[in-house]
Amino acid sequence: MTYFIAQILPYITVTVFVLGVVYRLWRWAASRIVHNITLSPFPQTKTEVAGIYLREILLFRNVFNFDRPLWVGAWPMHIALLNVIGGHVVGFYFLGKQFVYLGASEALSKYLSNLLGTVFGIILLAGLLYLLYRRIAIDKVRQVSNPSDYLMLLLLISIVSIGNFMRLVPEYGMHYEPVKEYFTTLILFQPAAIPEGNPFFIIHLLLAQILIMILPFSKLMHLFGMFGMRWIENRVYKEPAPGLPNVDVAAARARGTGLSSASSTDVA
Amino acid sequence: MPEYKGLKMPAKASAEEMRQIHIEPVPDDQKVEMAIQYLDEMRKKFRSFVLAMESCVKCGLCAENCHTYLGTRDPNNIPTNRAELIRKIYRRYFTLEGRWFGKLVGAEDLNLDIIEQWYSYFYQCNECRRCAHVCPFGIDTCEVTMIGRQILHWLGIVPKLHASVGAAMERTGNHTGLTKPAIVDTLEFLSEEIKDEFGVDVEFPVDKEGADIMYVPSSADFLLNPYTLMGAGMFFTYIGANWTIPSTITEAGNFGLLFDQQHTMRHNFTRLLHAAQKLGVKKIVWGECGHGWRAWKMYLPGMADLPLRWPITHIHDEVAYYIRTNQLKLDPYKLGRPVTLHDPCNYVRACGLAETMRTVIRACVADFREMYPNKENNFCCGGGSAILFDDPEMYQLRIKFSQKKAEQVRATGVGKDGNGILCAPCSICKAQLYPMVEEHELGVEVKGLIDLVGMALVWK
Ligand code: HEM
Ligand code: SF4
Ligand code: SF4
Ligand code: SF4
Repeated sequence: MTYFIAQILPYITVTVFVLGVVYRLWRWAASRIVHNITLSPFPQTKTEVAGIYLREILLFRNVFNFDRPLWVGAWPMHIALLNVIGGHVVGFYFLGKQFVYLGASEALSKYLSNLLGTVFGIILLAGLLYLLYRRIAIDKVRQVSNPSDYLMLLLLISIVSIGNFMRLVPEYGMHYEPVKEYFTTLILFQPAAIPEGNPFFIIHLLLAQILIMILPFSKLMHLFGMFGMRWIENRVYKEPAPGLPNVDVAAARARGTGLSSASSTDVA
Repeated sequence: MPEYKGLKMPAKASAEEMRQIHIEPVPDDQKVEMAIQYLDEMRKKFRSFVLAMESCVKCGLCAENCHTYLGTRDPNNIPTNRAELIRKIYRRYFTLEGRWFGKLVGAEDLNLDIIEQWYSYFYQCNECRRCAHVCPFGIDTCEVTMIGRQILHWLGIVPKLHASVGAAMERTGNHTGLTKPAIVDTLEFLSEEIKDEFGVDVEFPVDKEGADIMYVPSSADFLLNPYTLMGAGMFFTYIGANWTIPSTITEAGNFGLLFDQQHTMRHNFTRLLHAAQKLGVKKIVWGECGHGWRAWKMYLPGMADLPLRWPITHIHDEVAYYIRTNQLKLDPYKLGRPVTLHDPCNYVRACGLAETMRTVIRACVADFREMYPNKENNFCCGGGSAILFDDPEMYQLRIKFSQKKAEQVRATGVGKDGNGILCAPCSICKAQLYPMVEEHELGVEVKGLIDLVGMALVWK
């Protein structure tokens, strides 16, 4: 079983993920932008368009403006998630010494790497629990939820909880070096067995792979969908020039159009 | 009032009425099969629809940002749930996860009950696009509504109101079935009204060949909003324009946008191009109509099948241009009443008219008060997409849909002394708000924006 999860499944996961995402994106690309449904006020330059993308991606501005309680959970959750994902890549690749490049000592770098991992891991878990709470407790959110919406959150919460547990309980912790070695062998298509028989690590690895395989077939596609939708709705639109043909207002007023000479009514 | 398992719905067009708009209603035992086939066609075409189907995270943000949910608290009026009525079918037939996991991921077989639900809830959507504006990703439930209505139309399920307007469009080129003699008559009458009230001579040239400008008013202005037409006539006369109103397409609206974006919408597009060609005009200027302006400004260029020869602008843009260049003399103190502005959703979220309207209203009105939220954040009046149904139950819904608007108007205080004006420069907004300001006892009178321009013009 461990053999399957650690040495075979990863290849299946990557294949399903890549093919799944390509399939979905291909389906989106095959349909067209039929009508001009740009949202106004219309951006006048590409820079303004980029501004809209950035404020929505980096700050979740719409969520902030139109549903503050959601923002309180969703924004920190996403920031933590991105850092956790980034941390997995960078941390294992540099064995926690990434901050050396920013001028820290090796010991400090490892310490920082650990600290940030723990902090973001906890924010992520708190954020997810809060989102789950909303889904269960708030009527309007419960009313829009399908079973899969809860399951998705539970899956994420399990992965993150186990990750945090391994961080916080040293007996079950994982060191950077063996994990890096394991992933290196995976990438070289000569998968080695998982070094330490840590059941939590195996479950963490299994659940994470399930998540990655589900992603292309779930609402997590929103990370691409958002670009697709904004590409349709936020674009440059230039208004046609106003001003009417053969109209000379000054001349018309001098002629007194509309004012019959017979009329004595004073309306002004 | 048709009743179907407790669903609220407007009266449906009869089979005969459907045939008048070229649709042979699909018999009940084939409806499900045909609906799936039409859905398949639409999802392959419209990316906006596919993305709405596939990338919603069910965050619930859109709920309290839709006035139909705020007014009714009906869960199916939450934008994402309105879309879910189709999404669950889409999942079941067109996605792997839906086929494999069914109910777990919210996938469901289509049946006649669900089609009736579509009819009920897609005609409870005002197509105002506030949901698209607020969604973190910009998911546009209005697109889903439009596609839902298109499929229903092909199945032969359209409200009587929309079908009869569709038939009138084909017969006369306008929504209210006005014939040329009626048009000319009304305009002559309005000339007299202008003379009596404002003391100026305004002529409304109809079908004048060789005119420079073709002005396309809303046909509702002839019956319900005379001051809007009078204001436009006074504006064109004031600036000395060589203008005309076409009798073959006396319609700023286009109900095609609302229930049949293919045949019906294109039909009136073609009429417009023929009229402009025949009269030899140089520019087309559009009257006050929210959904109509969206259709003609944003949809026409893509559906005309040729590069347009004539620039088309909105009359607000033109008036604002002459105000900015100091060519109009307007007296904002003439009116002497407090005014607030309801931003028609189509103007502010689809056509970019928010600032233009303010340029105009500030020049015409001394006591102008903003309502909040406004501009692109504005809430719909509750009449959008012409769900102006009079069946008693639907009328009750209209009152609920306009609740948010009523709160906003009240907060401005313009109606405190009973002499306020609610400027709502869109034919459908006007039709909705005339009765609604009474229902909510707002102490305001509903007017268009060009009405106010006409009243403020200084002629000498
Ligand atoms: C690009 C801008 C993004 C925005 C505006 C955004 C917005 C949201 C929102 C509003 C939710 C709903 C929270 C809820 O109530 O459940 C959500 C959930 C989520 N997002 Fe994003 N997201 C973005 C990008 C991403 C990216 C890049 C990722 C992955 C790396 C991601 C992963 C997730 C996850 C895992 C969830 C939780 C799903 C769940 O509720 O089951 N998001 N996102
Ligand atoms: S705001 Fe957008 S993503 Fe959130 S539930 Fe509504 S449609 Fe879905
Ligand atoms: S278009 Fe307007 S009425 Fe329709 S779902 Fe969206 S917010 Fe609600
Ligand atoms: S009727 Fe008026 S407020 Fe309502 S959708 Fe049309 S433009 Fe919007």
